Amino acid sequence: MSGSFEVIFRNKKAVVGLAIVLAYVAIAVAAPWITEHAPMQRVGRPHQPPSMDQLLGTTRMGRDVFTQLIWGTRTSLFVGFLAGLIVTVIGVALGITAGYLGGWVDEVINFFTNIALVIPQLPLLLVIAAFVGQASPMVIALIIGLTSWAWGARVTRAQTMSLRRREFIEASELAGEPTWRMIAVELLPNLLSIIGFNFIGSVIYTIITEATLEFLGLGDPNAVSWGTMLYNAQTSSAIMIGAWWEVAAPASFIAVIGIGLSLINFAIDEISNPRLRTLGTVAKAAKAQRAIDRARVDATAPEA
Amino acid sequence: MPFVLRRIGFYIVAFCAAAVINFLIPRLMPGDPIDFMFAKAENTLPPEARAALLKTFGFAVGPLHEQFLAYLRSVFTWDLGYSVKFYPLTVSQVLGYALPWTVFLAGTSAILAFSVGSITGILAAWRRGGAFDSVASPLALAVQAIPAVVVALAALFVFGVALKWLPTGYAFDPKLDPGWSPQFIGSVAHSAIMPVVSLAFVHIGGYLVTMRNNMIGQLGEDHVVMGLAKGLSDRRVRYNYAARNALLPSVTAFALTIGSVMGGSLVTEVVFNYPGLGRTLYVAIVARDYPLIQGQLLVMTLAMLTANLAVDLAYVFLDPRLRRA
Repeated sequence: MSGSFEVIFRNKKAVVGLAIVLAYVAIAVAAPWITEHAPMQRVGRPHQPPSMDQLLGTTRMGRDVFTQLIWGTRTSLFVGFLAGLIVTVIGVALGITAGYLGGWVDEVINFFTNIALVIPQLPLLLVIAAFVGQASPMVIALIIGLTSWAWGARVTRAQTMSLRRREFIEASELAGEPTWRMIAVELLPNLLSIIGFNFIGSVIYTIITEATLEFLGLGDPNAVSWGTMLYNAQTSSAIMIGAWWEVAAPASFIAVIGIGLSLINFAIDEISNPRLRTLGTVAKAAKAQRAIDRARVDATAPEA
Repeated sequence: MPFVLRRIGFYIVAFCAAAVINFLIPRLMPGDPIDFMFAKAENTLPPEARAALLKTFGFAVGPLHEQFLAYLRSVFTWDLGYSVKFYPLTVSQVLGYALPWTVFLAGTSAILAFSVGSITGILAAWRRGGAFDSVASPLALAVQAIPAVVVALAALFVFGVALKWLPTGYAFDPKLDPGWSPQFIGSVAHSAIMPVVSLAFVHIGGYLVTMRNNMIGQLGEDHVVMGLAKGLSDRRVRYNYAARNALLPSVTAFALTIGSVMGGSLVTEVVFNYPGLGRTLYVAIVARDYPLIQGQLLVMTLAMLTANLAVDLAYVFLDPRLRRA
């Protein structure tokens, strides 16, 4: 296990990505201690630019942008991880079932997956959210989770099908392993990189989509999140009157968490497919290998 | 061409599935859809229009299967009834006006993103680890993770409000008469720069990364080594040997991102006040104009299926194996 940690920490992208995500988690956990006010409290005059008292300025309602940003981090991370979990569990369950069992089960699941893939996602989400009416962040997470599993199911299915023909799977089948063991012990570990990729991709997608739905005014206006901050900025024409801080704060927070998560995803891709590593890494590895070789040669060489 | 026929068959089934979902959503939701949709329009809508709406949408009281048949008839005759918000315009009229703008906006930016992303991806892979690759690839990664809302709002603020280089909204100068006059076309192009570029911007990164990764896979293949060994020019090996094969997964990605381009176009249209389907859907949702929302979903699904079909045809052209199969 310590070996796999080493693999992760040797990848610079993974380290930077993890650092960003952990920083966000820390902010979300520590929200009550970092901020002085309640997020919906009036703390000053409307549309005040950033100052010492209000680090990131105030909104039209005179609320502190910094406080809302910090508390919004909690909401966005929670929604992102919850929906990511739902998407991954559904996608993996359907993908493995279809890919492993094959036959008519595969036909049926694959048919529904393909249909879910060609129906436009965001418009559908918008319509469902509109009918639910002022959807809370939790409801948004559920809607996204239950409608966005198709991509993960397709990718997991493809990988399961290619694993299914490998010799070690056929061998354990001949040895008479029960189905649950085949799936849990033989298949799942080999699907981990795809599952991780799917999970993190879904978290990014959810955070972006939640913000978009709320920006369009389909969320609960009393929830504190990055999306509602953008929505309030848009409805109070913050951009047109030059109150850029109201938009810049949540926008940059969304962008940076997205970058952090996709760095991790890129790293997963590189770790599971060494060809993709950039030459810098390859050169470094070659150099390290040469140093090891030299050390060995020196150690075994007779004293001159 | 059995492949294409099979795909067309699938798209017809998919469209029916979308129509069923469209039918079920309002019925699965809490509350009565009729009250819901007239709550805001009660004062502006004459009673006979209300009766007509009920009829065309199969909301008439009756068993579910009769409602469904009535609904299907309205879908296949494209008689989608009246819009509540834009009454007395019919849904088809409202959509007919908005559709070309979205096709123009989403189509231009999808093609722009695909070409720029794929070409830069090819170059990044060719000199893997070189200066261009080590700047462009991480940058693409970062760009890919930024939502369309953020890009659109940032562009609006910087180029529209602060620098005042480009118009902040609408598809053309409202002072001009729509037509094929040079001024009008110029005005459309001028107004389209910001929406098209900001929408394309979000997707360039994805294509770059996909293309780069596929290219790197191809560059290790025997036929590429063979091409180089034969002494062909770099250019020829790069584009005709490696890129042509690497392009296939990118084309699949293109089909899959058409949906997200349409989603992004929705947001972009709202931010830039662009008169396409996305903004119409937004207006319809805010006004709870259900006939219009349902019509929107159908048209958007149809647009997406058509785009997927176009990609399938491109596949036949790019992958000779499919022509025989």
